[in-house]
Amino acid sequence: MRRTRTVVAAASTITLALTLAACSTDDGPAESTDGENTDSAEVEPADITLWVAGGDTPDELRTYLVDTFAEENPGSTLSIEEQDWGDLVTKLTTALPDAANTPDVVEIGNTQSPTFTNAGAFREISPELYEELGGDNLLPSFVEAGSVDGTVYALPYYFGSRYMFFRADIWDEAGVEAPETLAEFTDVVSELTTDELSGFAMGGQDWRNGISWVFAHGGELAVKEGDQWVSTLSDPNTVAGLEMWQDVYEGASNLPATERDVAYWDFMNDAEDGGAPEAATIMAPGWARWSIGDLVENDEGDMVRDGMADESTFDIFALPGVDGGLAPVFAGGSNMAVSAQSQHPELSENLLRIIYSDEYQTMLAENGLGPANTEFASAMATDKFGEVTVATAEASKLTPAAPGWAAVEGAFVYEELFQKIAEGGDVTEIAAEFDEKLTPMLNGQAG
Amino acid sequence: MTTTTGETATSDGIAIRRRRKPATPYLLLIPALAALLVGLGYPVYWQVVTSLQEYGLMQQFGAPPRFVGFDNFARIFTDSQVWWVVARSIAFCLVNAGLTVGIGLGLAVLMRAVHGWVRIVMQVTLLLAWATPLVAAVTVFRWLFDYRTGVVNWLLVQLGWESMAGHNYLETPLQFFMVASFIVIWMSVPFVAMSIYAGLTQVSEEVLEAARLDGAGPTQILWLIIMPLVRPVIAIVLLLQIIWDLRVFAQIRLLQDAGAPVSETNLLGNFIYQLGVGQQNFGGAAAVSIFVLLLTVVLSAPYVRYLMKEDVA
Repeated sequence: MRRTRTVVAAASTITLALTLAACSTDDGPAESTDGENTDSAEVEPADITLWVAGGDTPDELRTYLVDTFAEENPGSTLSIEEQDWGDLVTKLTTALPDAANTPDVVEIGNTQSPTFTNAGAFREISPELYEELGGDNLLPSFVEAGSVDGTVYALPYYFGSRYMFFRADIWDEAGVEAPETLAEFTDVVSELTTDELSGFAMGGQDWRNGISWVFAHGGELAVKEGDQWVSTLSDPNTVAGLEMWQDVYEGASNLPATERDVAYWDFMNDAEDGGAPEAATIMAPGWARWSIGDLVENDEGDMVRDGMADESTFDIFALPGVDGGLAPVFAGGSNMAVSAQSQHPELSENLLRIIYSDEYQTMLAENGLGPANTEFASAMATDKFGEVTVATAEASKLTPAAPGWAAVEGAFVYEELFQKIAEGGDVTEIAAEFDEKLTPMLNGQAG
Repeated sequence: MTTTTGETATSDGIAIRRRRKPATPYLLLIPALAALLVGLGYPVYWQVVTSLQEYGLMQQFGAPPRFVGFDNFARIFTDSQVWWVVARSIAFCLVNAGLTVGIGLGLAVLMRAVHGWVRIVMQVTLLLAWATPLVAAVTVFRWLFDYRTGVVNWLLVQLGWESMAGHNYLETPLQFFMVASFIVIWMSVPFVAMSIYAGLTQVSEEVLEAARLDGAGPTQILWLIIMPLVRPVIAIVLLLQIIWDLRVFAQIRLLQDAGAPVSETNLLGNFIYQLGVGQQNFGGAAAVSIFVLLLTVVLSAPYVRYLMKEDVA
């Protein structure tokens, strides 16, 4: 511990020096805030704020961060505030430029990172700090999403990938086997579907799961031609994927076409009063496991799901590809960055040191969250959940790193696209209509 | 000589009086004007400036904005989507304001007719609805109309409408706005009912007695005596309702979060929010806001004129 603290102190001195160096050339609004920090040579104790997005970071990890931070930074405290994924972009847009109210460290969706790093919302991660926090071991595609011209601003926090959770008991009873191809999957789950049971429960607006069908067919959502992004929904491969998704939604899901962020696991569990489940299969990120299973009492006396302990009832498989193998699914996950306007950059960087410590990375992996530092991914692959996570993560894909992607998400364009398809519209026509709408948005020309 | 001096003295006197008379009212106006300038003038000034600039996320984080003249306005007014939002907002606003005032008026007349504790129960009930926090109210309505576990669908099924099981109200824009109207009207009827009721209590008993003596029936008294007397109150609450219902925001936003076709259910407030904060096009959002300001003025102008005439009379 003591040794760590010396390193911390040394490193903050280095960063401080770098900041000062940066100050002399930079005439941005950050100058005044950095200037204040030069008054005191050593870090003043303060309360810093970390924004986590959604409930993906388990309570155990949050407690660890708060306790460890207080221990390593005497007099300082860490407050963790949870933000809703749905409002995250809005909240970041208004809070980050405001020095008085900015959170110090923020979690941001990996697909949202490029928009904010390009706008200068985050503090630079110095090459020294980057090396210290894991360097080349950090997940490269996420580091890229958080960098501009080789300068790193946002680091990976965790990655997750999506796979299928299913009711083995219902599947067995119907006498169906885990499918080998994507087309077989549609057949199987459609067969299971009744008025009371969704063979495969999926909301119509749920594009984050739906785009896996596009990726599986080799389709792209958008490509960069020259220096312009072009929406490629009309590409034959993309259309084929969307059409197959339309089939599976229409044949196997009883959920409304307008549902998006659904707690699918609620549909998979037996109802609390013993009623039958409403879904035989769902697609969800790996951490959904902890919301599935039989109700048991935990150490604190709360009723919780047992994490799919009963293997004859609950099981998982990876979404199969068009010709067998694995379908590339959408890689969920997020990045972590320090606000450019943070009043406590040294403390914020100390927090990063805790997050990227071996202990915390191991804890992430053990909780089913793909660790930022890939060296710790092996800690995940010890059971079938870990194996499927690592396997699907290897085959996963990200949304286009276009500057306007956060705006596309902010305007719910993909939600609407998938809703229109779920409602049974002609996919080719819808794709053409949305291509026209999306291309200017992707390039940051707001409509 | 004497006359001239006299004249000078008089003119001096008038001059002094003139100087003193206007000073005090203007002085008294200063605090109000200052508050208005700081509270309204500055934001409006910013609004106008931003609407003439290309102002996005980069500018939000410190890049200098670029002056683009009326580009933002041109882009907005050539976009058919914007006109749909405008049409939808005006329709929603007029229907809701009309229904709210109609129901409020009915309740006010009813409160006047009933006696004692019935009226008190009504007033308490109305105040409770009025006091319910907006988010709580919307949440309750979301639960009521939930497609899976909502009471409304359950009731309809119990009443024999089997096909309503699992019906999702938020899926189609028309039914979405029906639910939204329920919330908006439910939340604003109390204010209208109480205001009009207060107006009704001012109708003097002598006038009504005189009407009765002249042989007027209850219907005639209501329409020919009471209504004209409380018309100014009704006009004011209708004006307020129109302004409020035009800028309705949170109810729609919270309902959209429950899963709805977003672009087809956006009203002006939501559209501006989405354009500005969601898509980081602050310039465009400012331009639409200015348009809404003008629209509010146009929609309420006839009423303001009517109210001013009423004041003079």
